[in-house]
Amino acid sequence: MIETIGTVFRNDEITPGYKKLTLRFVEGISIRAGQFAMLRPRNAYEPLLRRALAVYRADDSRRLSFLYQILGRGTAALACLKPGDQVEALLPLGNPWPVDAAGSSELAVVVAGGVGSASVLMLCEELIDAGVQTEVFFGAASENAAIGCGLDDFRAMQLPLIITTVDGSLGERGLVTTPFSRRLAAIDGSRSRVYSCGPWAMMKAVAEIANEHGAGCLVSLEAPMGCGFGVCVGCVVAVERKEAGEYGAYKRVCVDGPVFAADEIRWDVAGMSH
Amino acid sequence: MPIQDEADILDTNLSVEIAGVGFRNPVIGASGCFGYGLEFSELIDLNRLGGFCTKGLSARPLAGHPPARIVETHGGMLNAIGLQNVGARAFIEEKLPLIRRYDTRVIANVFGYSEEDYMETIRILNDGEGISLYELNISCPNVKEGGIVIGNSAAAAARLTESARRLSERPLIVKLSPNVTNIAEIAKAIVAAGADALSLINTIVGMAIDVNTFKPRLSYGTGGLSGPAIHPIAVRMVYEVAQVVSAPLIGIGGIASAMDALEFIIAGATAVQIGTANYYDPLVTMKVIDGLSDYCKKRGISRIGELTGATFN
Repeated sequence: MIETIGTVFRNDEITPGYKKLTLRFVEGISIRAGQFAMLRPRNAYEPLLRRALAVYRADDSRRLSFLYQILGRGTAALACLKPGDQVEALLPLGNPWPVDAAGSSELAVVVAGGVGSASVLMLCEELIDAGVQTEVFFGAASENAAIGCGLDDFRAMQLPLIITTVDGSLGERGLVTTPFSRRLAAIDGSRSRVYSCGPWAMMKAVAEIANEHGAGCLVSLEAPMGCGFGVCVGCVVAVERKEAGEYGAYKRVCVDGPVFAADEIRWDVAGMSH
Repeated sequence: MPIQDEADILDTNLSVEIAGVGFRNPVIGASGCFGYGLEFSELIDLNRLGGFCTKGLSARPLAGHPPARIVETHGGMLNAIGLQNVGARAFIEEKLPLIRRYDTRVIANVFGYSEEDYMETIRILNDGEGISLYELNISCPNVKEGGIVIGNSAAAAARLTESARRLSERPLIVKLSPNVTNIAEIAKAIVAAGADALSLINTIVGMAIDVNTFKPRLSYGTGGLSGPAIHPIAVRMVYEVAQVVSAPLIGIGGIASAMDALEFIIAGATAVQIGTANYYDPLVTMKVIDGLSDYCKKRGISRIGELTGATFN
């Protein structure tokens, strides 16, 4: 974890409402798939708090990109950044996706919903590098959203890729959980490991489907964060008390996660859907 | 204040004393915004810090409130964490040994749901080696018992202070709530009851509503407002309290720079605590220390204590 300043290299719109911010750093930063950064335009008065963004891609250790949807004041401020502007950054943060080397004859099933895709592109690359057989289920609201969420980068990896859109403008119409559920029913679920990042309701459904089919399931959670390094205790998620965590019934998404085993999460506790 | 030749000033003495305890400088991490200090060890040199206040500690571990616990507002944020903490016993056994590796003042923030509960926390903490002072939290707005319920009443606050003072083996700071009509009256009552120092202010009760769901944006409903938005309110309260008590004051509220800290000191504070700014600027405590030093050098101030309450001189 280092506190540093990044310089904007590019900040391009992918499709309306979705942008990719590429930052250059003086230091080399070692990033693992699933980790994130806390970012804010340098010396900004608004927003006050930095925003947690997953590292989308590491071109090299000094050039990292972040794919984001413009949703609120924080991402709107990031969207205004121009090449040469500076960004306050704390990174790398959080635990990475666990990727086991090939040989376990395990199938990796990656389920991305909306801009949750930003957390799993590097994961797919790591799975490919590890020689793990991988399939991707990619859900978005529309074709505009799917492209905005980096669909072309996923296509370029040439993995089996199932696309769904809610409005039917691209791929199968409906939710990503439908083809995902069909697929797990068709294969031996217990030989699969599911990796998922997306809206809370989607991950909850993915976790249930994976559980039905005996597949292990990991999720990467999102939560509004004050600090990103474990201090404010604002980003907590309710967990099953199987093991005594430092804080008992709640764990911090920023340092105890963002990647959790799905069966550790109390999906019935409201408050995480935002 | 006369401006001397910069060359005359070698190094400003930033050290201050609160209730007989020396601090190398007046910059202290605020309770709830500084974890157990250790979270910052990778980012700043804790040995340069004046001190820090732990997250509010209770006799037993507390789980805190369900999410959502924080929401950003204009120039600040609301929080309703619910005092999630490891408990005083675990703090002593698991955190303090690691904290003792650093040369900084540790202030244990003490919380309870009832007077007996507060006393139980202090009894446990009295065994902790390496704690310099206690900060009695009678101002947390995010719990229904203890906290603000006590801090809102001069009589209840004085009663608790008296009991805590008797039991405490360390100097006692009492942290005041701003959610009162007359903070100076409550401050006087608490000092008369034996508080060695006062820290102010805790957060200001606020609310944010989701216009799509028509529900509060925090699970608890209301939350405590912190951040730059509250700074002028806090400075005014320190100023008011400084005029009626002689006990040392620690100014808290929206500090994000050395200038923000100086306002508190000039208003009457001996030291300051920095809270929310640590979230979006983890190096802020170091920047404020450097900034205070620069300011004093430029103005020819040899000892930062000269500035405390300078507005009244």
